[in-house]
Parts: sequence; C-alpha cells; structure tokens
Amino acid sequence: MPLFVKVRSFLRNLFLSRSVEADLDQEVHSHLEMLTEENIRAGMSPQEAQRAARIELGGIEQVKEQVRDERVGNWLQSVLSDCRYALRQFRKNPGFTAVAVLTLALGIGATTAIFSMVNSVLLRPLAYRQPQQLYLVREIIPELSQTYPTLPANLPNSRVWQHECHSFDDVAIVEPWNMTLTGYGEAEQISGGRASANLFDVLGIVPELGRTFLPQEDAPGKDQVVVLTDSFWRGRFHADPAMVGRSITLDGQPFQVVGILPASFRFPRAAQLGALVEFASRADYFKPLGLDPEQFSPLGEFDFAAIARLRPGTSVGQALAELNVIQARIAKDAKEDVGLRAVMISLESEVVGTARRGLILLLFGVGAVLLIVCMNLASLLLVRVPGRMREAAIRTALGASRARLTRQLLTESALLAVLGGVLGIGLAYFGLQLLVAVAPANLPRLDEVHVDARVLWFTVFVSLLTGILFGALPAWRVAHAEPQQALKAGAATTTESRLALRLRQSLIGFEVGVGTLLLIIAGLLTTSMVRLLGVDKGFTTEHVLAVDVSLPPQSYTKPEQKDGFYDNVLARVRALPGVTSAGWISKLPLEGQEQVDGINVPGRSSTVLQVPVANYRYVTPGYFQSIGIPLRQGRWIEQADRDRHVAVISESVANNLWPGENSLGKQFHPGEDQRPLTEVIGVVADIRTVALDEAPLLMVYLPAGPASRSWSGSHASLVVRTAIIPAALGIAVRDVIQSVDSGVPILHLRPMGEIVSESVGVRRFQMVLASLFAFFALLLAAMGIYGVVAYSVAQRRRELGIRMAFGARACDLRNLVLLQGMSPVLGGWAVGVLAAVVAGRVIRGLLFDVTPQDPLTIASVTLAVLFTGALACYVPAARATMLDPIVALRYE
Amino acid sequence: MDSEPTTLLQGTLDLLILKSLVAGEMHGLGISRRIQQITSGTFVVKPGSLFPALHRMEEEGWISSFWGDSENNRRAKFYRLTKPGRKQLEVETERWGRISWAIAQALGAS
Repeated sequence: MPLFVKVRSFLRNLFLSRSVEADLDQEVHSHLEMLTEENIRAGMSPQEAQRAARIELGGIEQVKEQVRDERVGNWLQSVLSDCRYALRQFRKNPGFTAVAVLTLALGIGATTAIFSMVNSVLLRPLAYRQPQQLYLVREIIPELSQTYPTLPANLPNSRVWQHECHSFDDVAIVEPWNMTLTGYGEAEQISGGRASANLFDVLGIVPELGRTFLPQEDAPGKDQVVVLTDSFWRGRFHADPAMVGRSITLDGQPFQVVGILPASFRFPRAAQLGALVEFASRADYFKPLGLDPEQFSPLGEFDFAAIARLRPGTSVGQALAELNVIQARIAKDAKEDVGLRAVMISLESEVVGTARRGLILLLFGVGAVLLIVCMNLASLLLVRVPGRMREAAIRTALGASRARLTRQLLTESALLAVLGGVLGIGLAYFGLQLLVAVAPANLPRLDEVHVDARVLWFTVFVSLLTGILFGALPAWRVAHAEPQQALKAGAATTTESRLALRLRQSLIGFEVGVGTLLLIIAGLLTTSMVRLLGVDKGFTTEHVLAVDVSLPPQSYTKPEQKDGFYDNVLARVRALPGVTSAGWISKLPLEGQEQVDGINVPGRSSTVLQVPVANYRYVTPGYFQSIGIPLRQGRWIEQADRDRHVAVISESVANNLWPGENSLGKQFHPGEDQRPLTEVIGVVADIRTVALDEAPLLMVYLPAGPASRSWSGSHASLVVRTAIIPAALGIAVRDVIQSVDSGVPILHLRPMGEIVSESVGVRRFQMVLASLFAFFALLLAAMGIYGVVAYSVAQRRRELGIRMAFGARACDLRNLVLLQGMSPVLGGWAVGVLAAVVAGRVIRGLLFDVTPQDPLTIASVTLAVLFTGALACYVPAARATMLDPIVALRYE
Repeated sequence: MDSEPTTLLQGTLDLLILKSLVAGEMHGLGISRRIQQITSGTFVVKPGSLFPALHRMEEEGWISSFWGDSENNRRAKFYRLTKPGRKQLEVETERWGRISWAIAQALGAS
C-alpha cells in the first residue's frame, strides 16, 4: 500500500515534525560517530578521525536540509515555516508591518470596490437570455438628424419589422407608462411600461408566478392585465402569492394581475433605451400595449423602444441591411419624400452608455494608486535589504539555496499582501456600500452592484500580484547577495551600492509620474465640472423649490377639475409666508424632453419633416418669475392669457424662425396645421432642457388652461420662489397640496439646486473619486520621497560629517540633499505630464469645455507636485544640516 | 577512500540501495560501505545523497526503518527491505538490464 505509506509519512511530517526532526538529527549524529570510530580503527588520531568524518559527512545541517527537501509534503512544510518566519519578522517590526498592511488594505480595498462596480455594470451580462443577441432598434430620418440623430421606433413600423425582417427572431416594443394605483391605502403613482405582449419572450424572462402576456392582449380593450415586478409585489403586497389572479385598480380601471416577474429582473432606467424614451428609476409593473396599429401613421409618434432579438448566425450588418430595405419601402408606401432608415445598437452597450469610459478611467486610477502602493513598499523593503543581506548570507552558508531564499522573501511579501487583501475586502465591502450610496442614481445598473465570486477571485489575484510586485525586487537583491562579502562587512558599514540608490530613485520617479498623471486627469475633470456648473442654464436655482405631482385620472377626468386643482394650490401657496412667487409647468428644465412637436409658420415650409421641432411646455403665470428665466422681449404669460392662443418662445426659436426680425406678434401653429394660430407675446432666454452639457433646445411655452387642451395636464411641477431657504418651506407646501386634495400623490419635493446637482451626478462621481485617488497618489508619493531621502541622509551621515568638518555650510548640505532628492521628482513629473498629454486623447469624451492640454490645469498640478516633492525632501534635508560632525564621525 | 567521483545515473542509487539491503537490515553507514564493496569501490555514496534517498524510499514504502544497536553497541537507525521494496528491486533490475543491454548494443555497433 505505497499510497497509504505516503499519506502516513505526509501526516507524520506535518504533525509530528518535532519527533521526525529529532529522529533525523540523531541519525545523522550517529552516522558521524560511526564514521569517526571507523577512522580511529583505521589508525587515525581521535581529532584527525573526527575531522575526516566531518569532511566525509559534509556538514550536519546541510545533510539535514537535503533530507528535508526530499520529504513528502516538503513544499507545504517550507511554506508553513516561511509563513511562521515571516510572522515572526512582522512581530519584530510592528511599525513597518502596520504601515505596509494598512496601505495595502487601502489600495487593495479601493481597487476591489471599484472593480465590483466595473464587474456589475460592465462585465456581468444583462440578466436576460443571451443578452448579446438583443439589439435596440432606432429610426433615423435624415431630414431631422440635425435635432434628433435617432428616434425611437413607432408602432406600425415595428410591426412590419417583426413580421418581415427575417434577420430577427422577434421584435418587442415598450414605452414608459405611469398609472395611479388606488384602493390600497394612499393613492400612489406607479411607474413601469406598456409593452407588446412578446416583450418578456424577447428578453427571455420567465415569470416567477403566473404568466406574462398573451398575444391577443395587445388589442385595445383586452389589455387590462398587468405583471408586477418582484420588488413592487414585495413592497406593496407583502409578496402575497394570492395576488396573482386578483384585480387591482389602476387609473380607476380594474386590472388583473396575471404574473410576478423574477427578483433578478431589471429594466433599464431613464434614457438607457435611447433618447426620448425616459423610463422611471424603478419599474413597478408592465401592461400590454392595448393599441391599434391602424391608428398610427408610419412617420409619426416615434415613442417606443424597440428591442429585437437577432436570429442566431445572422450578423448585425445583414440585419441592418435588411431593415433599411424595409424602411425605404415603408417611406415609399407612405408617399412622404423622406429617407427613413434604422440603426441597431447592442442593448448592453446602450444600457451602459457613457458610464463605461468613466468607470474604466476610475479603474485605471485606482490601479495606479495600487501600483504606487507597491512602489512605496518595494522602496521600504529595499531600505531593509542591507540588514537582510547578513541574514541571507548566514542562511546560504547553512545550505539554503538561492531559490529557497527568494521563495522565503516572496512568502513574506505575499503574506503581507494577503493580510492587506483580507483587510482590503472588508474595506471594499463597506467602501462599496458608501460608493453605491454616493453614486448618482443615473449610473446604470447601480442596484446590481455587489461583491460576487468574481470580485473575490479578483482580490485574491490582485493581492498575490501585489505581493510579488513589491517583493520581487528586494527579494532578488537579497538572494543575489554574495554571502562572503555580506558576512565580512559588518551590518553597520554595509553601504548601499550605487545600483540600489538608483533603483529606489527610479521607483520614486515612477511614483511621481503616475501621481502627476492622475492629478492632471483629476484636475481636468474638476475644471470640466466647474465649467459645467458655471454654464448659463437659463434659469436660477437659489431659493427655488420644485414639487412634482400626478393627478389620479379617475378623480380628475375633466380639464376644469385639473385647472381647479392647480389654481387652488397656486393661490394657497402664494399666500404662504416666505413665498415670493409660484407657478406651474408641465415639465421642469433638465428633466428631459416631452411634447416634442413642430412649429408651423403659415405659408412656410413644404414637408412635415422640414418644420423646426420644439419642446412644448404649458405654464401658469408666475412660472418664469419663479424659476428665474429672464424675459428678453415682450411680456410674460398672464392670467388673462389662459383663454388666448398666445405663446412665449425661447431665443433660439426666435433666431431660428425669424432671424433678424422682431418675432413679437408673429404667428404659428403649435404642431399640425389644424391647431389654432398662436401669437408670440414674449421671448425668454434659452434653457438647458436635457442636461447642462447639451446645447439648449427650441422651447415654446403655452399658457396652461382652456386654450391648451392638447396638454393632458395629469402631471405638473410647481415651482416656488422663496425668500428663505427653500427646504424650510417644503412641509408647508406639502400640507397645502394635501389640504387641496389628499388623493394627489407628491412624486418629488426638492430644491431646484438638487435637480441640477443630480443632472451632473455621474460627472461629480467621477470627479470626486478621481480627485480622491489623485490625492492619495500624491500623498503616497510624498511618503515615498520622504522615506528615500531620509534614508539616504542617514546613510550618508559620515560623508556629510566629513563635508561639514571640511567647512561645508549648513545650507550647502541642505541644497546638496534637496537637489539629489528632487532630481527623480523632476524626472517623474516630466514623464507624467507627457503621459497626460497622450492620455488626454482618451479622456476627451469625459471633459466639458476644457482641452486635455489645458495649461492652467497642468501648471497647477506642476506646482502641487513640485511643492509636495520639495516639502518631502526638505524635512530630511533640514535634518542633515543639524548634524554635529563629531557625532556623525564617531557614529560607527 | 579516494576513489574518483563517479556520478550516479538517475535512479541508479535507488537500485544500489535496494540491492545492498537484500543481504539484510543495515544502517546508513553500512549501506554506504556495502555499495562501495559490491561496486568494487566505483561508487562512493556520500551522506548528502544517501540520507535523502533513504528517507524518500522510506516514504515510498520500499524500505522501513527501526532503531537498533550497531556492531559496536551504538544506537543506529537500521533499514530493511519491504515487500513493495522487493518488487521495486525486480522492476528496477529488469529496467537496468534493458538499459545496459541497449547501451552496450549501441556502443558495440560499428
């Protein structure tokens, strides 16, 4: 049973190592004695016999080491003993160990946290069946592409694709759809979508309970069924399985719950399914379309996100070619002289969108910080090399091989890294929660972020890599020491070779370079942010409170009821102490596009598609004053305008339609020709409608009231200008709305500044993290510089003492040390600036109104780096001048 | 003692140790001297090679060890062949025979 014998030996070597060792020791000694006896019998003198025996044996310890090398499980033994030895070393140098483990934990923890985000947002596939086969299809009308490069899909066209495009397995469409849930406590607006019945089949989602939609439920009148998302079902209905089959009241109509979606189901938010299709931040439910395609024109109402599943084995190019043939035919059949095309975007890349580049940048940033951590530790370990050389020499003399020595030193650094890694995972876990909490809500897939097995493997890998990275150079140096030389020279006089000094200086140069690069990137992001916030928004945010409400359709069926509610609230809010002015608007600035329609000037333009397109907003008197949009010409909308067909237009509308003319008194049809002619009574400043970094769109403001019945009026936002801080009035405003009608849900209530701040959330997130990493990089680099310069001053005590004794002045010595310390800093800085100029091309997309070579940013970073470097050098340099030459020379 | 150092072929040491133990149980020095004797002084096995080999072979289960008294009443560790050891000796002997025959053939060929 050789295997059994082997296992037994393995266990014995592992657990009874002491008796195994004693056994071996006795055996070798008895061998030596027998050799000696043999030699005496051969006629040698006792001393001679012993000497000869020792020569033949070749060293007790060496023999024992050779036997140990042969043992079963020797590798484990040696790893364990290396670990034990390493731990003993750590205990002997608690300061060094603490600094090393803590910086490693910070570095590894931060890297793990950022990697978790990258993993969840970018790497983990969407939780749909074969998500790489899913494509978002958008339509293109070249005549409109100036304003709208791509459009969402429209209903009839998507049906044609579904039936005629053979490159697709299936095509589903979905649009955001909100409804008011009543009958379960307080009225609540729930958000979700209305979708073609095949949506869940296309996505490959199987419901947790019940079913999804049946094809016939797409027809109008048959659509009163819903599926609920798991989180909504849990939150609102306490995960009651009996909900399936039950009826709930939505917008005053009974809807039967037919199914519950799985907990893993996620649906894209905001414009993650393309511009002009804005989904709410959470999905509560889905209902079938309930629409008749016959009632839609092929060139209007581009409202839907179309998701197509590519047929396996078909390429995107083929599918797109086929799709464009179909599109051309649709346009021809519609007898419109326009080019209709389509574009296919991978669903995964569309959902992640612009977040990708920012996250990858952050991952690089944090990786750079970790690299600096490694450099710092390598340099700390290099400082300890001379001390270790003696020890290494003794070990070599006792029979340790070079490989064995290297392995032992690497075990030490790997163990440090693993300790740092374990602590780092803990830090990452909390850091991640913090990150998710401060991350902007519009970062895609944020709710999916968590630590999974891949992240843990990543951490293990990174920790070991880190350990090897910072341990390799010092280990190599120690293992390749000449034992004789190391033993001959006492530890105290072992001076550093020029090579070692140069090594550490290049490490410093590298650190400074990476730090400079990070600082410049962070500086550019910060400048972008400052410029972005300084952009002329067209409105003010100070002292402005914004409240979004949604009127439940079952209790507000007639327009007069809605007007009544809005007027009532307005009157009471205006009467509140601290309120300067107030007004309603159908949709706030920065909240995206809505009510997009043409501006038809009588007697102009030929085709529908050459008409300029604007965002229409419905406002009550007081809106402009409250949000602070300045009037350029004419007058505001007043109470008396409610029954008149008048409009206030933004400056770009005026410049676009009547360049160089006075636009006041000019007339147009809002939308189609049938709509009443509307007269321009005022011109106001342009505003940022979608985002601060998107150029202003054309805006037309119409008075909310009887004259503007094209507005459903079921959602609106109240804008209140206050004399005191806006948040202080929040409760009072909420009370007013509740007192007018407690059945009206308040969706949001926040200062306008918060809306602006949310709209730049992703940028701020990138900026703050990048700055944090850059700051850490600079701090670590400063620590590294300090360490190296301080050590070299300590090493050169004697030399400095001699210089002093020969008459060097304090400032000469200081300058000498400063100059030598600063040379790698300058080198690193230069390399860092060069790298930033190269990297600038990559990050250009993340910048706003600033070039990657922005001289101001580079200049301030230069100042910061040089100042920090000089400071780090100055402290030890100043200490050098305080040297007493007598003491320095005696110190041997 | 001062025989020229002859490097042992890989695996040959195991064969020689197994062979020397056929005569009976022996301690390390005994094995070393026995090998010297049966190879007419061609091979001198130094403790640095002998002990690692003995320990490895013991872990393989080919030999077993026990403490006993030497001819001069000194405590020494003795080794003896085990059943798997005998089998291993056969295998090794057979293998060695093949190799040496092949080498002889190769060298004899003109």
